[in-house]
Amino acid sequence: MSFKTFTSFLVAGVIAASAAHAQAPALQSQNDAEKARITALVAEAAKEGSLTYWDTVLQPATKNALLPAFIDHYGLPKTFKIEFSEIAPSNMITRLEQEAKAGRATVDVAAIASPIWVAAQARAGALMKYESPEYKNYSMVAEAGLVENGFYAFNGAYVFVPMWDPDKVKVAGDSWKDVLSVLQEGRVSVGNGAASDATIMTYIGLKTAMGKDYVEALAAKKPVFIPKSETIASRVVTGEDMMAFMGMPTRAYQLNQKGANLKYVLPKEGVTLLPQNFFIMANATHPASSKLWFDFILSEKGQKIIVEKEAMISGRNGFTSPIPDYAPAINKLHLVHIDWNKMTPDDLQAARREWMAIFKQ
Amino acid sequence: MDGYFQTVITTSLSDQDVWTRRIERWVPGLAIALGVFLAVIPVAATLLRSLTLDGTDGLTLIHYTKLFTDPRAQLAARNTLIIGTSVTLGSALLGFLLAWIVSRTEIPGRRAFELLNLVPFFTSPYVGAMAWQYLTAPNSGLLVYLARNWLGLDLSFLRINSIGGVIWVLVLFYTPFIYLFVIGPMRNLNGALEDAARVHGLGFIDTMRRITIPLLAPALLSGAIVVFVTSAGLFDVPVILATPYAIPTIPALIFESIGYPSDFGRAAALGTMMMLVIVGLILVQKYIIGNRRFETVSGKGYSPRPAKLGPLSHLTCLAIEIFYIGFGAILPLIAVLLVALSPIWKGWFDPNRATLENFRYVLEEFDMTQHAILNSTFLSVLGATLIVALGFLQAYRLQSRQGWLAKTLQPILSMPNGIPGIIFGLGILILLIRTPLYGTYWIILIAYVAHYFPFAMRSIGALLMSLSPELEQSARSCGATWWQTLRMVVIPLSRPGLIATWLMLFIILVRELGSTILLYGQGTETISVAMLLLSEQNFLYVAALAIVQVALLSLAFALLSRNSKSLFQ
Repeated sequence: MSFKTFTSFLVAGVIAASAAHAQAPALQSQNDAEKARITALVAEAAKEGSLTYWDTVLQPATKNALLPAFIDHYGLPKTFKIEFSEIAPSNMITRLEQEAKAGRATVDVAAIASPIWVAAQARAGALMKYESPEYKNYSMVAEAGLVENGFYAFNGAYVFVPMWDPDKVKVAGDSWKDVLSVLQEGRVSVGNGAASDATIMTYIGLKTAMGKDYVEALAAKKPVFIPKSETIASRVVTGEDMMAFMGMPTRAYQLNQKGANLKYVLPKEGVTLLPQNFFIMANATHPASSKLWFDFILSEKGQKIIVEKEAMISGRNGFTSPIPDYAPAINKLHLVHIDWNKMTPDDLQAARREWMAIFKQ
Repeated sequence: MDGYFQTVITTSLSDQDVWTRRIERWVPGLAIALGVFLAVIPVAATLLRSLTLDGTDGLTLIHYTKLFTDPRAQLAARNTLIIGTSVTLGSALLGFLLAWIVSRTEIPGRRAFELLNLVPFFTSPYVGAMAWQYLTAPNSGLLVYLARNWLGLDLSFLRINSIGGVIWVLVLFYTPFIYLFVIGPMRNLNGALEDAARVHGLGFIDTMRRITIPLLAPALLSGAIVVFVTSAGLFDVPVILATPYAIPTIPALIFESIGYPSDFGRAAALGTMMMLVIVGLILVQKYIIGNRRFETVSGKGYSPRPAKLGPLSHLTCLAIEIFYIGFGAILPLIAVLLVALSPIWKGWFDPNRATLENFRYVLEEFDMTQHAILNSTFLSVLGATLIVALGFLQAYRLQSRQGWLAKTLQPILSMPNGIPGIIFGLGILILLIRTPLYGTYWIILIAYVAHYFPFAMRSIGALLMSLSPELEQSARSCGATWWQTLRMVVIPLSRPGLIATWLMLFIILVRELGSTILLYGQGTETISVAMLLLSEQNFLYVAALAIVQVALLSLAFALLSRNSKSLFQ
C-alpha cells in the first residue's frame, strides 16, 4: 500500500469516525462537559459490549424496538447486545436480594413496580448512585415521591382499573360505584392479593378513595383471584369473567390490536399509580452501558417507544402520549395520593392481612 | 446364561487385582457418602432457616407455632393431604392397569400404547392445567360450549376449579410415574408364581391380589411415594385451578411466602414439614415391605405369559387405554393446539383466523427458545445419566447391606425429595452464589442431582429387590469380579427399570422449574424457564412452545424405541 493510499484511508476513517460521533443524536445540543461525559461513557460501553436488563412488565418485542434506537442514539457498535428477561416480581426480588447480599450482580439494570422494596434497596446500598441528567425532566413525579433522584426513576407506570367487553356488559358512568352496580357474583376477577404487591398497593389506593365499605361490597361479589394481568384480560375476552376489576390498560391495548374488544374506565374518584421503578444495581458489571441505558429509557425517544409498545404512563414532564386513549398523560389522571416512601414492608403486610380478611382469600 | 458365565470365568481369572477390590469397596460407599453430603446440606439449611428469625440470634419455633395456629395453613394442609392422597391412589390404580395392559395382554396396538401412555408425561402440568381450564371452564370451556350448543347438555357440574379438578388433572399427568415404576418389574415378573397360583385354584382377581400386586409392592410403593410428594408439592396446577377460587394449598402458601416482603422462615417451615411427611412415608413403606422377599427374577428361565382374556375383557382393556389417552393426551393437546393456532383466544377456535404466528414468534423472534431447547437437552441428558449412576450405586450398596446404618441412611437420603423445588433452589443459591459456579450450567446440574437422586435410588432399589441374590452369587462363585458381575448380570437384568428411571428423570428435569428459576443465568435458560417467561407475555406463546416440546419428546422417544421390541424390555 502506497503512502498516498494509506493517507487517504486514514483521512476517510477519521472523517467517518467524526461523522459518526457528530451524528450521534445524544451529543446534539449538549454542552461540552456533557458531550465529554457521554463520549467517555459511549467509549466504555462499546468495550463492555452488552448489558443485562430485567423488567417485570416490558415485553421482549419492546426491547427489540428499544435496542436499535439506543444504538443509534449513542452511535454504539451494531453488535451491542442487551440480555433481556421479563420476569415475575417475586423471582426478581429473590434473585436481586441474594445477589446484593453476596456482593454479586448478574443483572445490571432492573425495573419493578414495588416502590417500598426499591426504596429499601436504595437505603441498604444495593442500588448504584447515579445522577442522571434526565432527572430534571421528572421533577413532577419526584415531588410526588414516586422517584428518588440519584437512585431510581420509573420507566413507565400503570394502573389497575375496571375492564370489560362492551358487547357483554354496559357500564354507565365513570365512578367506581357505577362499576360495582353491574358486577355479577362470581363473574369478576381481582388480582391475587395474597402474593401480589401491585394488587395490595391498588387495594390501599381504592380504600383511600372509596373507603373500606366499598371494598367489602366488592368482596361480596365473590371475585376470583388471578395473579397475571395477561390472564385477567384473557378471561374477559373469552367471557369467563364479565369484568376484570383490576385490569391493566396495557393488556387491553395489546389484545384489542389482535381483535378483542376491551374497554376500561379511569374512575373519577381516583386511581392508584403503580410506578415501574427503574434502577442500576450497585455491583453492575456493565456500569457505563447501564448509565447510558438509564438515560435513554428516560429520554423523550425512549419514553415514546415504551408508551407506544406497552401503553404505559410516562412520568416525564410535558410528555405527549402517542396513544392517549390507552396511556393518558400523567397530569390528566386523577391519582390517589399515597406516599410510598413513608410506607414500610410491615405496612404492606398489614394491608395484605386486611385484604385477606375482607376477601376471605 | 451359559455363555455369560463362560465369559465371566475366563475374564475374571486375569482381572482379580487389588484395584478391583478397592473399587468394589469404595465406589458404592462414595456414592452413599456423596448422597449424604448432597442430602444433609440443603436439608440442614432448610431446617435451620425454619428455626431462625431474621434479625435475631438464637433458635425459635415461631414459624411453626404461627403455622399451627393459622386456620388458612390448616385448611391448606388438609387440601394438600386430600390432593396428594387422592392423586396417589388414582395414579397408582391407573398406572398399574396401563402397565399391566401393555405388558401382560395381547390387545391390538400394544406397542403404540406403550409410547402413547407416556405422552401426558411430556406435557408440563402447568400446560395441562391450562388445557383443562380451556376445555371445561364453566363459562367459556370448549367442551362446555360444544355440549351446550350441539347436544343441549349442561356440563357445569364438572367444576374444574375445585379440589376435584386439581385431582383430575394431576391423576392424568402423574399416572405415567407409576406406569414407569411398575412396567419394568412387571415385565420381569416370574410367571411361574402366577401359574402356581392358578393351578391351586385361584381366579384372575385373586391371583392379582395375592401374587402379582404383592410382588410388585416395592415398585408400587416407591412410585406412590414419588407421586405423593411431587403432586402434593406441585405449585403449577393448584395456582391455575384452585388458588383463584380461594382454595389454599401448601405450595401456594410457599409461593406467597417467597413474595415481597418475603418470609423464608415460614416457607422453610412448610418445606420441613413436607420432609417429615416423606420420612414418615418411607418408614411406612419399610413397615409394609418388612423382611419379606420380592425376588421375581431368578436363574430359572420363566417369563410371564400373556393373560388369556375374553372378548369383553379385551374390550375393557382397550376402553381403559382409549379413556386414558383420550383424556390425558388427545383432548388437552387438541385444546393447546387450537389455542396455539389462534391470534387471540375468544373461547372458540376460528379456522378463518388460524395462524402460525405464535409458533413463528416462539421459534424465531423469541431468541431464548433455541438455546433453551439445547440447554434443557444437555442438562436433562447429563443430569438423568449422573442421577441414575449415583442412584444405582447407592441402591446397590443399601440393598446388599441391611444393617442399622443402611436402614438409617435410607430415610435421610430420601429427604431432599420432600423439599419443594423453590426452597431447594434457594438453599443452593445461598450456598453457591459466591462461587464461580453461580450463573453457569453446573449450579443447575448440582441442584438437579442433589434434589432428584433419591428418585433414582428408590426406583432402582425396588428393582434390585426383584432380582434373586442367587444370580449374583452364582457369578461371584464362578470367579467374576464385582464389576463383571454388575456389567454382565445385574445391569442387563435391571435394564428395563434403569431405562424407565432414566426416562422418568429426563422428563422431570426437562420440566423442572422450582430450582431452575432461581439458578439460571443469561444463556443457561431451560425450556421451563422460557415457558414461564412466555407466560408473563401471552399464554398463546406457551401453548405453541408446549406443542413443540411434546412433538420433540414424542419424536425422540419414538426413535429410541424403533429399534427394540419394546423400550422397557
